[in-house]
Amino acid sequence: MTAARTSTGRPRPSWFTRFWAVVRYEMLWNIRKKKFIGIIILSFVFATLGLILPVVLSSAPIEANPDYVIGVSISSFAFFLFALATAMNSISSEFESGTIVPLLTKPVSRTMVFLGKLFAAFIIILMAYTILYVYTAIGGILIYGPQNNLQLVPFALFGDVISTFIWVSLILAMGALSKNTMIAALVGLGVFLALLISLPIVSVFAGPSPALNYIPGGGAGSGSNAVLNLATGGKSIGTGTDNIGINLINWMLYPSANVSFTKIDLTSIQVGQSTEPAQTVVYTEPISVVASRSLGVAFVYIFVFLFITWLALKRAQILE
Amino acid sequence: MDLAVETSGLTKRYGSLTAVNKLNLQVKRNTIHGFLGPNGAGKTTTIKILVGLLKPNEGSVKVLGKEIHRENAGFLQQWLYEQADSRLSIGYMPELPKFPKHLKGAELLDIYGQMYGMTQQQRKEQIPRLIELVGLKGRENDLIGKYSKGMQQRIGIAQTLLNNPDLVILDEPSLGLDPVGMVEVREVVKEIAKEGRTVLVSSHLLFEVEQICTHVTIINRGTALVSDTLQNVSGMLSGPAMLHVEVTKISPEIVNAVKALPPVSGVVQTGNTLRIQLKTHEDAHAQVSQEITRSGGVIIGMSHKTSNLEDVFIQLIHKDQGGKPQ
Repeated sequence: MTAARTSTGRPRPSWFTRFWAVVRYEMLWNIRKKKFIGIIILSFVFATLGLILPVVLSSAPIEANPDYVIGVSISSFAFFLFALATAMNSISSEFESGTIVPLLTKPVSRTMVFLGKLFAAFIIILMAYTILYVYTAIGGILIYGPQNNLQLVPFALFGDVISTFIWVSLILAMGALSKNTMIAALVGLGVFLALLISLPIVSVFAGPSPALNYIPGGGAGSGSNAVLNLATGGKSIGTGTDNIGINLINWMLYPSANVSFTKIDLTSIQVGQSTEPAQTVVYTEPISVVASRSLGVAFVYIFVFLFITWLALKRAQILE
Repeated sequence: MDLAVETSGLTKRYGSLTAVNKLNLQVKRNTIHGFLGPNGAGKTTTIKILVGLLKPNEGSVKVLGKEIHRENAGFLQQWLYEQADSRLSIGYMPELPKFPKHLKGAELLDIYGQMYGMTQQQRKEQIPRLIELVGLKGRENDLIGKYSKGMQQRIGIAQTLLNNPDLVILDEPSLGLDPVGMVEVREVVKEIAKEGRTVLVSSHLLFEVEQICTHVTIINRGTALVSDTLQNVSGMLSGPAMLHVEVTKISPEIVNAVKALPPVSGVVQTGNTLRIQLKTHEDAHAQVSQEITRSGGVIIGMSHKTSNLEDVFIQLIHKDQGGKPQ
């Protein structure tokens, strides 16, 4: 088979060859970034503390916990940190440093550069989370004994990558629009912190409005006011885009379970008393709806932010 | 005419500023074409349009015979132009090129080579050759972040030649290089041209352009002031060239013999020096020297007085900006 030729008579390299070159370019950048390595180390420190601290702090002997590993999820702050480390320089610093000029004069389209960078970010985050989950699983087995349902860990991994990608795509979009790494990072951090702080406050004081489940973060249950009803009792869960992984596992484990969204009666809280405040169930939803909705909402945000990123990169004029 | 670059009515505006104004540029194939102009004349903007980094507001652009932009092209038509990837056949070195600091020199060339669709074997053969050509042997495995400005310029030249381009576009290739590096760059450019490639070189260094270019375009305020062979441009404003010949004893026979030569338009004798005015800028040294010797004169010295590119450049720019020719 002869290779397709361009108008200038040269064989046109395959799309995949050029795409892979962009991925290599981006992967090396990501791997050699010191802050990314720093965040990986920090994550290991947190995972180690999560494994060891309960053992060290408790005076009681260690009890076997066969559900330790499938109950573990990377925190929302870690999602943001990984996203920040991976995405903040990805497009904006190409413009800031001027490296975009030689890159875009190679026979790679802007769409290919965008897709290559995105794919590299996906691979890097997937690798980092895989290492963390394997580390946690081995640590969990060593400390808490044989673990149940380890086959469900990939769902947690998948969900956490999707949760992280909301922030990746937001930061990429800000970087492509502003062409400034600092603005991309600060806008991303501002949005993350604003939602991290405001969602629990709104869900506690105004009640678990279903609309909160459509905003990135912990959802309507971010104020610890969503309960997964199980035969063994209630289990507090988040219901937003930060909880996709853990809710997918809950769905697999308890397919017919329901989630009750409650409003906390703040007037029932009595100072000096340790009793739980009164809660009224506002509405109930199956776990399947909660999990699939958070996944769908995440995909919509990712698509919208990535479309903005692609459009901004496509239309960017290289002035410097 | 076989052209490597052809622009027609090319215009690029940034808000109220017109950087390139109805520019008609023609670069013949297999020539070294100097692209000259003062700072802000529109050279880099034009080059960025040629390599697809900027889109013009008006005009059409053909690179290596392929239209990459046409005035009033519809969205689909323009998209099709963008797919006809002339970048596969172009090597471009930006002014003060910047490359990712986290990559090693050889890694950068390897990744760029992959983008050009070069096989691993082709890259293995081509990259060491280029590293040696630009004088980076022994430093190819250092991170680019550790390279000096001159070394970055050298890796920039190497990446320009990676794909054996038909058209090489160099934007200020000697900027940041030491004198030895500048001479080496000139030699590299001459070598590229010998291999049958077209070179479009933008430079502020007029002596450099005079040494390497066969053709020249001078632009100012986005418009071409002149575009021709270097020889024609060099002689176009300062009147005809002059030959000053010092002879031991000047006789009327010598003066008449020289006057009768076809390239000579006039002769003035001052002491034992003949000031010979020439009709063209062609080299008349041999003919004049032969005629004087045949008429019994002994030549002590001979010098060719002509305007150089720098004189022409300054006069053209000055005139374009409303001043009087110097």
